Amino acid sequence: MLRALIIALALCLPVSVAHAQSTGQSPTEDLQTVLQRHADEVANPGRRSVGDLIADLVGSGQPNVATFLERWQDKGVYQRSTDGLFFYAKRQGDEYALTNMTTGEPAGSVPTDIMTEIRPNGGVRRVIGAALVQFQLSDPDRARRVAALDAISRSPDADQIEPLRDSIEGEGDPVLRLRKERLAGHLRARFGKSTDDRIGAINELSSALDVETRSVLNLILTTTSEVAASVPEGTNVARILGVGTDISEAEAYARLVSANLAPAPIPRDAIKAALTANITDGRVGGIPVGQLGSEASRTAAYDALAAAGTVPPSVTAEIRRAALASNIFYDAYTEKDAAVTDAARAALDEVEARVARYQIIDISMDALSLASIYFLAAIGLAITFGVMGVINMAHGEFIMMGAYTGYVVQLFIPDYTISLLVALPLAFAVTFGAGVAMERLVIRHLYHRPLETLLATFGISIALQQLAKNIFGTQARPLTSPGWLDGAWVINDVVQIANIRIAIFVLALIFLGLILFVLKRTRLGLEVRSVTQNPGMAASMGINPDRINMLTFGLGSGIAGIAGVAIGLYAKVTSEMGSDYIVQSFMTVVVGGVGNVWGTLAGASLIGGLQKGIEFFNPSNTLAAQTYMILFIILFIQFRPKGIVALKGRAAGD
Amino acid sequence: MMNTLLELSGVSVSFDGFRAINNLSFQIGEPELRAIIGPNGAGKTTFMDIITGKTRPDEGRVIFGEKSVSLLKMSESQIARSGIGRKFQKPTVFEAQTVRENLAMALSNPRGPFDVLLHRKTPTGAHRIEELAAEIGLIDHLTRRSGELSHGQKQWLEIGMLLAQDPRLLLVDEPAAGMTPAEREHTTDLLKRAAQTRAVVVVEHDMEFVRRLDCKVTVLHEGSVLAEGSLDHVTKNKDVIDVYLGR
Amino acid sequence: MTQGFLSKNPSVLWFLAALGLFTLCVTVLSETAGVGLLSTSFIKTLGKTLCLCLIAVAMDVVWGYCGILSLGHFAFFGIGGYAIGMWLMYARTEIIVIRSLNSAAIPPTPEEITDAVGQQIFGVVGATDFPWLWAFSDSLFLQLLMVVLVPGLLALAFGWLAFRSRVTGVYLSILTQAMTLALSLYLFQNDSGLRGNNGLSGLQNIPGFEKTPQAVISLWFFWASALALGLGYVLFAWVVSGKMGSVIRGIRDNESRVRFLGYHVETYKLFVFTLTAIVSGIAGALYYPQAGIINPAEVAPIASIYLAVWVAIGGRGRLYGAILGAAVVSLLSSWFTGGGAPNIPLGFYTIQWTDWWLVLLGFSFVAVTLFFPKGIGGLFDLVVRKGDQK
Repeated sequence: MLRALIIALALCLPVSVAHAQSTGQSPTEDLQTVLQRHADEVANPGRRSVGDLIADLVGSGQPNVATFLERWQDKGVYQRSTDGLFFYAKRQGDEYALTNMTTGEPAGSVPTDIMTEIRPNGGVRRVIGAALVQFQLSDPDRARRVAALDAISRSPDADQIEPLRDSIEGEGDPVLRLRKERLAGHLRARFGKSTDDRIGAINELSSALDVETRSVLNLILTTTSEVAASVPEGTNVARILGVGTDISEAEAYARLVSANLAPAPIPRDAIKAALTANITDGRVGGIPVGQLGSEASRTAAYDALAAAGTVPPSVTAEIRRAALASNIFYDAYTEKDAAVTDAARAALDEVEARVARYQIIDISMDALSLASIYFLAAIGLAITFGVMGVINMAHGEFIMMGAYTGYVVQLFIPDYTISLLVALPLAFAVTFGAGVAMERLVIRHLYHRPLETLLATFGISIALQQLAKNIFGTQARPLTSPGWLDGAWVINDVVQIANIRIAIFVLALIFLGLILFVLKRTRLGLEVRSVTQNPGMAASMGINPDRINMLTFGLGSGIAGIAGVAIGLYAKVTSEMGSDYIVQSFMTVVVGGVGNVWGTLAGASLIGGLQKGIEFFNPSNTLAAQTYMILFIILFIQFRPKGIVALKGRAAGD
Repeated sequence: MMNTLLELSGVSVSFDGFRAINNLSFQIGEPELRAIIGPNGAGKTTFMDIITGKTRPDEGRVIFGEKSVSLLKMSESQIARSGIGRKFQKPTVFEAQTVRENLAMALSNPRGPFDVLLHRKTPTGAHRIEELAAEIGLIDHLTRRSGELSHGQKQWLEIGMLLAQDPRLLLVDEPAAGMTPAEREHTTDLLKRAAQTRAVVVVEHDMEFVRRLDCKVTVLHEGSVLAEGSLDHVTKNKDVIDVYLGR
Repeated sequence: MTQGFLSKNPSVLWFLAALGLFTLCVTVLSETAGVGLLSTSFIKTLGKTLCLCLIAVAMDVVWGYCGILSLGHFAFFGIGGYAIGMWLMYARTEIIVIRSLNSAAIPPTPEEITDAVGQQIFGVVGATDFPWLWAFSDSLFLQLLMVVLVPGLLALAFGWLAFRSRVTGVYLSILTQAMTLALSLYLFQNDSGLRGNNGLSGLQNIPGFEKTPQAVISLWFFWASALALGLGYVLFAWVVSGKMGSVIRGIRDNESRVRFLGYHVETYKLFVFTLTAIVSGIAGALYYPQAGIINPAEVAPIASIYLAVWVAIGGRGRLYGAILGAAVVSLLSSWFTGGGAPNIPLGFYTIQWTDWWLVLLGFSFVAVTLFFPKGIGGLFDLVVRKGDQK
């Protein structure tokens, strides 16, 4: 009844509103007049009867009807008891400041006792709201239209279909128009008049991708857990559950109990309490208290009590089994129409298959950006390890130094873009210097003793970490990225990539190109490669291996500094950030194969992809994901001890 | 006619496209002394790597002993235990340990960890060590750390360790490198004596040393056998002169 | 056999004598003996230090003698601690639970007790059921077996995989570090069945000895640690002497030469790796009842690296060096970080050792690696050799 009324009302709404707005003719009746005609209804609106009033109001074509409806809904309308006129009023001290409804101008102040506040009840407010939606959907202010759409998606309702659909025609904003169309589809799918209408709408939804559409379809497919002796006529059964296969016995029995189809089992504590309450002469049900230390004797005692009628009988295994066997457990759709649920199921499957495809793309993107980070973090290590056979445990601390350099630069240069541009080369310079100093002072003396180098650099690592802690404190320092790196590149509802990750990817690409260029096309690269392959021969050809080692180490450390700035942009800068990356970097180098830029790239891709892949299957537990990844790497090393890109023969050096 | 102890046939191996050994066939009997010569990169070291299990050939057969066991499926230590000893080009003795410890480690006793853990020194073992030490001329140095020995002495110690293993086939890589003439002579004697009871393969650059060994010579070139015979015979071979001696 | 071994290795007798004397002194000076010069907590520190010395000796054998720089032995130490901790925690909670359930009118059933114990132990991680890991936790004997078996089998499996594929040198170090990291990450999870980052606590209370004061218990554990260290020292001294030692050191110096002598190098490495892992597990099982608490942070890779630092500072390749390093560095470390060392005012800045100890340790470690590659033990050699020359 009400629904029909509202629909009828809604149908005539757009015409009148459009009329009033387009012609601008002065209407015959002003607002107050219309209201006075329905004075009783305005003052005391009823959910069923208010329809006439609203229809009349809307029919009047007055421009301020929408404002009135809003104020009315918000309990801002008052009636003056002296003359029965309606005003907007605001309490000021002991008085109300009145506003003329028709003109919107102040109408003086009156004492509070002559004004009656009009309080429409919840049902009425909903009816008013539905009428308002129409106004809001066509409101010239875009923000209000968006708000109206938001309101509809928050609490969708059958009544909104028509006003929404009618507002599409006049919608000038293409984005909003799209949204309105989509929303109208959602409403039709859920509340459409006929089965065919709904199925049609549902079929249209199957080409969508967004979360809202998925939740609409899921809502249509909402099921309830049911149990009954036989499935009632007219139930839209989603599936029948087999006890022991689809549903555990305990769960099934709990359903029976909550459906009052079986007696509740008596929990252990309750049995114990019942036994305790019925101790007579040191015995319960004829069994001495001292013997009640086992489940079997307690059950016996309880059954004895139950046989005497002292306690309710316990649920025996036979009762359970019988109850379970004589009932059917099933999930039922709340939607009664099987055709609709079938269509929704098919549509949802299609949507989800598409979502899954996009998710794979999304994960690949994620994996790619993670791989870029690992590549940046590991490439410096790979260079020093490959060229000099030196494991630099302080590499992680060079990453940290780079990040702190970025942080300090930001303290002096407030513009984030400029500070970033300064920080990148500065971080390189700082860590390059630190690397060269370390090579000169420590590593040079430890060549051909790789394990000792490992330990000495570890000593430097703990010292540097603690130094950073002493200087910058234990709390994380922010390294703020410039505004243009904040957003994300949204491809669709499933695939989106943060700009910062794209930037890191580009940075990794640049460094890949740069390193390949330096190694393959420059004199330094030639010398580095010759020292890698045969230091003795290189030395005899006039290449100074000391200088090459120093520069290589500096280069590797410098790239770590750059990586530090990049990592600092999206993770916090702490004194311990280096140790978070060092093991992963080692893995990258080892898995990829030593002494080869492409190997490092392959290692980084494998580890990044693996980590994201495992996280996808086990998203709640990143710790477990890391555990599995490390185990995988340990196994991987078994089969390719020299990494993905392995050198063979004499170059392998074994 | 002596028995064939080791036979390689049709063995090839390549590293990254480079054929280090190319369809090589080789046999040696027991007892026999054999010298292998060839220019750099002829595949001499790879040849030894293949026999001792360090490098797996891409194709071919390597067969050892009367029972014609294939060496290709065996690990380095299994090959060593079945009677093949190898001396590396650079003397590799355990420098932190005494001469006696070095020789004791090489003695042909059970090699399992628990055998070794529960091993007790026996008079026979001590006697054998002294015998070997006398043979290699280190009887007065048994308690010295082998790192303190001269270069030549280290070479001898390593040969002594090989002999202690009691191998049927001895592979010796450039034993005379860096030795004084007197030391060379001693080394020659050692090898010749060893070859009286077993097969010995000597890889050597030094022609004078090879001549003194006075044995059959195999010339390797680009991974396969170029010529075989007495030193005089091979040095007259035109191919050999071209690729090796002529340059 | 052992007599012959001891007579040929007088340094072992010297060490045992020193250890015995030390134990006697500590006992006499303890509160229990009445003198009370050493507090209970200090005796615990000494007992723990003895356990650290034991794992340091194990580390020295695997690294200093066999050349395998394992960055995973502290993981085995932790596993030993967890294994004994499970029994300690289970048994003690069970006693408490039974006591409280006994106050009811009806005697408790076994199921009731298990449930209540599970609630007590795992409530903190939001679970009540016993995970499968705890299947043997009610039996002291079986858990003691776990102390030996779990580290042993883990080392055996890991070592077999790693040595078989000829992973050596720094690669092996990194692989062992990865293993340690995987273990600690696993333990950090709440659903690991070992109470996540809460770890196991209350381990200093020994079930069945509630009435015995901690002063006495700490002395017991001190004795047990000393005994374990003594036995471990003798065991390892025996292993690294004689022909076994010869082969092991041979593997360290030139692995492939040993292989061409006919020794199956992988088996030897596996033997040493597993044996030292087992001893590390035993050391951990003695350490954590004295520490009272074990949590995943103890197993983190950094701990194993510190272990290598102790051995390097003490002097690799000599067993007493490892003991020296572990004792000196760990005691110094607790002196510095515990606020025992006086701060140094520089006028513009005061060096507080709680902040600067790690910097000092790091740099002195670099200095030791550069200038005293043989560690503190190497200084002894210098003195002894100079004495010889005179």
